[in-house]
Amino acid sequence: MYHNSSHRRFWIFDNEDALEILRCQANLKCRNKMSTSGKVSRAESMFLERHEEQVLFRYYEKRLLDFCNAFKPAMPKSVVGTAIMFFRRFYLNNSLMEYHPRIIMLTCAYLSCKVDEFNVSSTQFVGNLVQETPAGQERVLEQILEFELLLIQQLNFHLVVHTPYRPMEGLLIDIKTRYPLLENPESLRKSADDFLTRATTTDAGLLFSPSQIALTAILNSASRAGLNMESYLTECMGMKDNKETLLKLSDSMRRMKKLIKEYELPKPEDVSAYKEKLERVHSEFNTTTNKRKRGYEEDGHVSKLPCLAEEEEWTDEDLL
Amino acid sequence: MDDQGCPRCKTTKYRNPSLKLMVNVCGHTLCENCVDMLFVRGSGNCVQCDTPLRKSNFRVQLFEDPAVDKEVEIRKKLLKTFNKRDFDFPSLRAYNDYLEKIEEIVYNQTNNVDVESTKQMIEQYQRENRDVIQRNKVKLTREQEELEELLLLEQQGNDQRRLDTLQEEQRQLQAKRKNKQALLDELERSRVPATILLAQHKDRVAQLETRIEKQKQVVKTTTVFSTGILMGQTVSLQPMAKIEEVLYRYQPLYIETYGPPVPELDHLGRLGYLKHVRAALPQDTAGGYSSGLACHRALQDAFSGLFPVPF
Repeated sequence: MYHNSSHRRFWIFDNEDALEILRCQANLKCRNKMSTSGKVSRAESMFLERHEEQVLFRYYEKRLLDFCNAFKPAMPKSVVGTAIMFFRRFYLNNSLMEYHPRIIMLTCAYLSCKVDEFNVSSTQFVGNLVQETPAGQERVLEQILEFELLLIQQLNFHLVVHTPYRPMEGLLIDIKTRYPLLENPESLRKSADDFLTRATTTDAGLLFSPSQIALTAILNSASRAGLNMESYLTECMGMKDNKETLLKLSDSMRRMKKLIKEYELPKPEDVSAYKEKLERVHSEFNTTTNKRKRGYEEDGHVSKLPCLAEEEEWTDEDLL
Repeated sequence: MDDQGCPRCKTTKYRNPSLKLMVNVCGHTLCENCVDMLFVRGSGNCVQCDTPLRKSNFRVQLFEDPAVDKEVEIRKKLLKTFNKRDFDFPSLRAYNDYLEKIEEIVYNQTNNVDVESTKQMIEQYQRENRDVIQRNKVKLTREQEELEELLLLEQQGNDQRRLDTLQEEQRQLQAKRKNKQALLDELERSRVPATILLAQHKDRVAQLETRIEKQKQVVKTTTVFSTGILMGQTVSLQPMAKIEEVLYRYQPLYIETYGPPVPELDHLGRLGYLKHVRAALPQDTAGGYSSGLACHRALQDAFSGLFPVPF
């Protein structure tokens, strides 16, 4: 149940500013770490700015969404929602410069398949990277497994994500049962579904409870169809005598709609420019990060050099 | 092969089902035939440990492990000397220590540990507590006698009762026979019609029966147990310590859902919710699934956290 979940206690934030602060802190922390690592005298300009990170984040999030939607066998919506929520939660406290989103996004998808009981084997999973050669897929798989534990740790082991899809079903059932004023509730479904899909790529999941998101989706869909469902809230939800709650709820809905309206896909030229920057940062640093993570392989048979080479030959464009 | 057998003639229970194994004080087995043969003169040494033994001390082995037989024998002998009882001691602790000491001696003797010192310990104890041992022995025999007397009394009571019931039955039989005889006599002599006589007879028989029934019901109830304790009397054991505790009071579980109340699972059908969900297929229900479960979960999810929480 959502009301006593870690989702509600630890991953719902007061407002948009709180999220922004966390992300800025992550960005700053990563910069400090990199500049104090001492190896280099790097210009500040080489790091990604916060807004540049945001653009790249959007880009990779879209990529994750596309990957999930093209996934075979078809992924249930809740798995996709969980994966994107993992991705968002991860980069709330971490910077894109520290961990490359390319691998984190795949790890998120992989982990969410497991968490949401969508059973695919690991080879089947990387089999979806159609552009890759079998050997390349093998390498990706290795990396996924390598980052999986880190991801779980960064998620603070709070793995259950409550997506708004079931709440929406519940609300539809409730409307059909208790709100006969509405003639054809099924007609709301399509546009509400659309709303939820768009909501997943916003911060709505970090600010509002899944049931609120679902309710907003339905009400939004209704108002688009020119229907007023105010009485559903007052009569059926028992908010008649509770003006304050009603006000707050409508405020949340307004904020949510604003978030969705504000969302826009990043411009391709920006993306390619920042991506170059990101790659540069990573090529400078992933020797160190790699060393940390691959420690156990290092003292064995895998030497550092081929490891590096392998990183470079595996670029974004191979993914999809 | 762990079949029991005589260590001397190597006969086993398997080959000779009527084999009788014997044990002496040393705890080693011998079969009956070997005992007869070796101890013709009444005494001899154990085949296995060379302990001097007497033929009369051989017992039939009761336990699979002869060591247990040996221990039982030793214990029986030892308890004749160590016959103190709990009220001979100032505290329970002392009595328990004493019991522990006995166990230790039994163990030592059974397993031949510290044979000499154990023997000395027993002798010392015997010397020190001679009069106590004597007194207890007397007391024990007296108690034994009392118990036997009680048993005897009970036996006699039983016999008496059986005799009584027998006599009673005899008497009833006689009465019935007499009754019948009287009827026949009357039929022979009287001028009254036979039907009336028969009716009278029937009445009498019925009376007799009811009397017998009544007598049967008034069976003397026994009031005394064979141990001499009156029935119904509570034996004064240690009074039960009463523990006063605050009684548990059930408090219904309350969960804050931050949303409107969810209808209960059982009411879903009545409220009409189930009309709007896919009905469960017969094969789904095998595992305990019902469409109400899915519906209830969706509703719970829909309502949980719906109201904005004041941060």
